[in-house]
Amino acid sequence: MSIITISRGSSSMGKAVAEQVAQKLNYQLISREVLLDASNRFNVPEIKLEKAIHDAPGILERYRHGKQSYVAYIRSALVERVIGDNVVYHGLAGHLLLKGIPHVLKVRINADLERRVAIVRERDKIPAQDARTRILEDDKQRRKWTQSLYGQDPWDTSLYDLTVCIDKLSIENAVDYICQAANTEGFKSSEKNIQKAKDMSVACRVKASLVEEFPNNSVKCEYGNVLIYMKGKDQMTGKLTKKLNHIRESISGIHHLETHVGIEPPPDAV
Amino acid sequence: MSIFIISSDAREIEESIAEKVTEAMGYKLLDRGILAEVAAKYQIEPDKLNEALKTTPSLFNKLSSRQWRHHLACLEAEVLETLMADNIVCQGLAAHLYVTGVSHAMKVRVLSGNRKGIQGVAEKKGISLQKAEKWRASELLHRKKWSLAAYNYDETDLTRYDLVINLDQIDPVEAVKTITGAAEYRKFQVMTYSLKCLSDLALAAKVNGVLLQSMADVKVQARDGSVVVLTKASNRQKRKKIETIKALAGGVEGVTYVEVHVKKNILGEMD
Repeated sequence: MSIITISRGSSSMGKAVAEQVAQKLNYQLISREVLLDASNRFNVPEIKLEKAIHDAPGILERYRHGKQSYVAYIRSALVERVIGDNVVYHGLAGHLLLKGIPHVLKVRINADLERRVAIVRERDKIPAQDARTRILEDDKQRRKWTQSLYGQDPWDTSLYDLTVCIDKLSIENAVDYICQAANTEGFKSSEKNIQKAKDMSVACRVKASLVEEFPNNSVKCEYGNVLIYMKGKDQMTGKLTKKLNHIRESISGIHHLETHVGIEPPPDAV
Repeated sequence: MSIFIISSDAREIEESIAEKVTEAMGYKLLDRGILAEVAAKYQIEPDKLNEALKTTPSLFNKLSSRQWRHHLACLEAEVLETLMADNIVCQGLAAHLYVTGVSHAMKVRVLSGNRKGIQGVAEKKGISLQKAEKWRASELLHRKKWSLAAYNYDETDLTRYDLVINLDQIDPVEAVKTITGAAEYRKFQVMTYSLKCLSDLALAAKVNGVLLQSMADVKVQARDGSVVVLTKASNRQKRKKIETIKALAGGVEGVTYVEVHVKKNILGEMD
């Protein structure tokens, strides 16, 4: 009973690994569904969401916070999906979007650049040099995306519980490793962990409601008690009060909602 | 039938996991116990050999750059020679940086985890968590610099390993089970070719060690007893250097042919 996120560089066979893990453990496999959920719920075209989670924000976008909003929508949809447990997610940035849920097994699949080039060359029928450029550009975008939104490097080993290099090990070997790790004590869903996931889901929904108009706010939820950490300039205005009242009424699972101004948000706030 | 090379961002974890894997597999453990043997064989001061594994050459260091490289090459040669025996767990000897292209060697990195790692340092040193975090970050940076200076590889680069396990949420016992499970995988079985790759690496390290006794700026590659040495020399020194290298490398057991490639040393011309 756990949640598994499988992160990988493009054409690193992460999808094949994820499919086999889900099949072996009889878990639900999700990837693109998260974008569809977010698109339907927040009324944003799927293409925009996909671009937001794939490409690093440009200079102007950093000020407009558009990408931040889209990422908040995707995060909310993803947390909602995994809350039921027994899920394998193999989309982008799962290890970062699900940060804060303790029983998430974060896996990274690596493959040698030459092998990735060969896969892309064969799949897209393009010269090796073009395939290499495409892969390197994709890796660069991933790096920039993670750096700009989370201040971390996706190639940093400490972000993952398990990193498997698929070159020497086969897909089956990687699947064995992941299934074995998923069954260890640290990734079993206890009552406390499930509660944390539920709280995270409420916090993500609140954040998604606020982010477009108040992008700098952080949200944390503990047993249904929602704490909103606001920056000085976003102090209680009529607009915010109205928004908070709407959140109280529209989002289920909130027992109590309070705001804090000028206080540094805790690291696990969304 | 394989080699496990264990490395970690924390020495205690590296030692403890390697010991447990050795015990579980019934293999031989190759660790820093070999240093005394290497020091005696190559007539190096044991302290200096130990220091070469920890520091990089600097103005304030006891070791010159050439000595440092020589000591590391001697250690590398001995480790690679020992690994030829197979069924070995290796730790603490930086083997993850120089055992490259050997398919039956499984390279595993075990991370202490951010939370547990910092807590461990704080408890061991009796300092606050904040100080422990700073100490750990500087230690990791130092190891990264060392690995880049010694072997031009960043040891924190996860693509260098077959498997990386983070102990933040995975129990060490489970980690050991995961590692030992790989021994049965077909890809880690000894093959004639992988053994040949290992023996080529060992020969190159041996020649490198011999050459570094009297000269710097050498890079050695070996294949089936043939050795290629890359070096730098001025036009005046070129002939003499080639002769010296051929004589020294040719004297190493297992070398059947020596080829020397010399790059022009512009600074040497100005002498």
